[in-house]
Amino acid sequence: MPNPRPDARGPRIGVFVCHCGKNIAGTVEVERVVEALARHPGVVYAARHEYMCSDPGQDLIKRAIKDHRLTGVVVAACSPTMHETTFRNAAEEAGLNPYLLEIANIREGCSWVHEGPETTDKAIRIARAAVEKVKGNHPLAPTEVGHADKCLVIGGGVSGIQAALDVANAGYEVVLVERSPSIGGRMAQLSETFPTLDCSQCILTPKMVEAARHPKIRLLTYAEVESVSGYLGNYHVVIRKKPTYVDPDKCNLCGDCAKVCPVRVPDEFNRGLSPRAAIYVPFPQAVPSSYTLDEEHCLGLNPLRCGECAKVCTVGAINYDMREERIEEDVAAIVVATGYDLYGKERMTEYGAGTVPDVIDALEFERLLSAGGPTRGEVRRPSDGKVPKEVVFIQCSGSRDPELHKPYCSKICCMYTAKHALLYRHSVHDGTAYIFYIDIRAGGKEYEEFVVRAMEDERILYLRGKVAKVYRDGDKVIVWGVDTLTGKRIEVAADLVVLAQAMVPSVGTEELARKLHIACGGEGFLKEAHPKLRPLEALTAGIFLAGAAHGPKDIPEAVAQGSGAAAKAIAILSSPTLTHSPEVAEVDEDLCSGCAVCVPQCPYGAISPGEVAHVNELLCEGCGTCVAACPSGAMRMRNQTDDQVKRMIRVALGEPVEVGRG
Amino acid sequence: MRGKPKLAVYWTGGCGGCDVSFLELGPALLDVLSQVEIVFWPALVDTKRADLEELPPRSITATLVNGTLRTEENVEMVRLLREKSQLVVAFGACAHLGGVPGLANLASREEILRTVTGNGFRLAPPPGGDAEDSPPELLGAARPLADEVAVDYTVPGCPPMPSLIGPFFEALLSGDLPDPGHVFAQEQALCKECPRTREDRKLTKVLRPHEALPDPQECLLDQGMICMGPVTRGGCGAACPKAGMPCTGCVGPTPEAGDPALAMIAALGSLVRAGDEGPAAFAAEDRVLDTLVDPLGTFYKYSLPVYVRARRAA
Repeated sequence: MPNPRPDARGPRIGVFVCHCGKNIAGTVEVERVVEALARHPGVVYAARHEYMCSDPGQDLIKRAIKDHRLTGVVVAACSPTMHETTFRNAAEEAGLNPYLLEIANIREGCSWVHEGPETTDKAIRIARAAVEKVKGNHPLAPTEVGHADKCLVIGGGVSGIQAALDVANAGYEVVLVERSPSIGGRMAQLSETFPTLDCSQCILTPKMVEAARHPKIRLLTYAEVESVSGYLGNYHVVIRKKPTYVDPDKCNLCGDCAKVCPVRVPDEFNRGLSPRAAIYVPFPQAVPSSYTLDEEHCLGLNPLRCGECAKVCTVGAINYDMREERIEEDVAAIVVATGYDLYGKERMTEYGAGTVPDVIDALEFERLLSAGGPTRGEVRRPSDGKVPKEVVFIQCSGSRDPELHKPYCSKICCMYTAKHALLYRHSVHDGTAYIFYIDIRAGGKEYEEFVVRAMEDERILYLRGKVAKVYRDGDKVIVWGVDTLTGKRIEVAADLVVLAQAMVPSVGTEELARKLHIACGGEGFLKEAHPKLRPLEALTAGIFLAGAAHGPKDIPEAVAQGSGAAAKAIAILSSPTLTHSPEVAEVDEDLCSGCAVCVPQCPYGAISPGEVAHVNELLCEGCGTCVAACPSGAMRMRNQTDDQVKRMIRVALGEPVEVGRG
Repeated sequence: MRGKPKLAVYWTGGCGGCDVSFLELGPALLDVLSQVEIVFWPALVDTKRADLEELPPRSITATLVNGTLRTEENVEMVRLLREKSQLVVAFGACAHLGGVPGLANLASREEILRTVTGNGFRLAPPPGGDAEDSPPELLGAARPLADEVAVDYTVPGCPPMPSLIGPFFEALLSGDLPDPGHVFAQEQALCKECPRTREDRKLTKVLRPHEALPDPQECLLDQGMICMGPVTRGGCGAACPKAGMPCTGCVGPTPEAGDPALAMIAALGSLVRAGDEGPAAFAAEDRVLDTLVDPLGTFYKYSLPVYVRARRAA
């Protein structure tokens, strides 16, 4: 409806109120909002539509912009995160600068959370406030910028490998950084995978080899990201590559060096179940295929002190003078796939973990099951090497326990425990496997069938209940529990106890997140931009998440996420230029005194100090922290000035609007 | 303009420092005095209210008023001066923002009288005098000059520094006057003029000036001293920070800073750091800020009457 008293010289604002079916119209009297806004100073046109985001709804806006020569538009509808882009594009098509359109959120912020007559009143206030904001808006143009032509993938587990391969196969260069001496990650440690019982290494190693040989992939193992600066499209990364003291091009994996090495330390890859030398290869199929000299445990990298390995290396691969390398790369996008660790079993004092040698965690059991593991695939317990005849598996060990441990479900333990028990029964035919569980969560393709097979065909004893206590008695491990289905107390004199430990983000995830200026959730897993609609993106543009660093997930999910993150990175790499929102902070250089109070406030490192502060528009995400901090009012947010905010507050509080301004 | 410009200088509720501040102009003061005719200046020449009343309206070129408005007599005098003057200049922090005497607004008029005169004491005429000779009535609150009369220009500071007085006289004597409302100081904060270095912007403790000898190079705020520099107009040449004392804000807030306390609270709240990140840090940061003694007196040392209007009934 047209305003009965339009102002010929002032702003000409159009207001468009959406019913959103019943989402808004169910609690808000849309007609009343339209009537109220049509009378608001500066508004020349107000209308409503059942679904403003529909084509006819957008056409209504476009027509009104032209017919009523609108200088600003307010769409009173859902959250701007939903349809701001839709409506701004529509405005642009009709010839109005898109930054002269604002969303009044009367759904999430109003109709969904209220009922009764005040709901309409609040919707009117929200819409009026948005009109006052639009009056102060200026037309803006997005900032355009070129970008680097590489992608950085952090983490060489299956998710990171997949991301690297997908980006590389699309024709773009990838820098793949892995902290340990070999890529492969957790998947390389697994024996078989559920529900198909594929040999984990057999399906992983082809990808590892492909990644190593790919001409577009620069593989940096034994390396860590030291610092990251820059912004979407133009990240500058400094990588520190530790010296391996072995030339991978010369090393032929003969293993003579490890045989003569006098040092023995627990082998990390085998979870400490076997020793390794100071010069070692984590596993036979390691990529790159080379030994690594572990500086920390080597007797001193000094030929006068030891030097045995160099003496026996017939190809001369060992070089004690190798130095740490500092590598700098410019990349357009970053995929973070730093994976998970198991929650430390020694924290499970109630289960005797850490003190009873035959209480082990799930990854240790994977190593015991592995043909390449410390027992060559025979299930033998750590304490005395005997084949265990009674094995108790405890699910949710550290998971779903908000009082003492982690509150969340680690998602994959139900499945791998079923696999463990099943593989154990394949290995020890006369053995008995018990599984203590809270629920069985087997959501996934052919997952439920797999668990049923374990229960029925392999006669694994599933006991619903929590274990109260585990302790050592002679060479037995006594497990006390309750079967909550029968209400009976259960005591098992087991030979081995396997804890399905909770998954936690790998060590250093938080530190890396700080370097990348991305967020971690409460449990330390990397946080996505939107839990449903932007699950692969970090809140910082150009950084993507893949694999278990983002939360507990199984292999197919980690791989899918790796591919998804790669697709996101490719979208950046394949764009000729990138645009950045112009709705950022800017400094009024006539007012800035260079006091630099703003500089440390910026979460994006976008402000540099000087005679006057300088905002890097491409780094600025428009959060406004600096504006609030600025003592002299010199820092302003474009199209979100203090004056605009004050006018919005006044009108929202029901104060009369000053006419003739804007 | 015929003849020399006529100048008046008057004091209301002030300390007299503003009158003395002219001397700091040094030899330049002689130039100024030779170019003006002083028609009224109780601190300098023997002129009485009656002399002033006889002057024709708008006959004084410029009147410089220093001091806060505290008594009814102050108000009468500034109204009279306004009537007789072409330009009225708020000279010094008291006339500009209420000044240090404005901190008395934290107490009611009655509380002040009770404190000063004791219970039951009545202000009486001097012995043998008339009731008319009794001291003028105290106003309900101290007020800045602009509360009572239109102010054309402001020369801020406590007292105004020669670097601010000089440009005012230059403008007055050359006739090249800025737009009305101009404040003879910078629009940028005095950090602009401060030579101290700002390396690690954070506030981890709050120190009062007597509690530490500050590092001569580093920003005082980064050392824990609550320096009002970031919210205060420059123009003084950062005189106090250069001498190792935090700025107390006498020149008044920058035009966009608004309420200096709110601006300073936002800045301190941003700068404070204590403990590790997370909610535990918030409590630790609160504890750091809680150690700030006399926040009102720190943030509003010269400006309380402008930014905090009396809310108490009596």
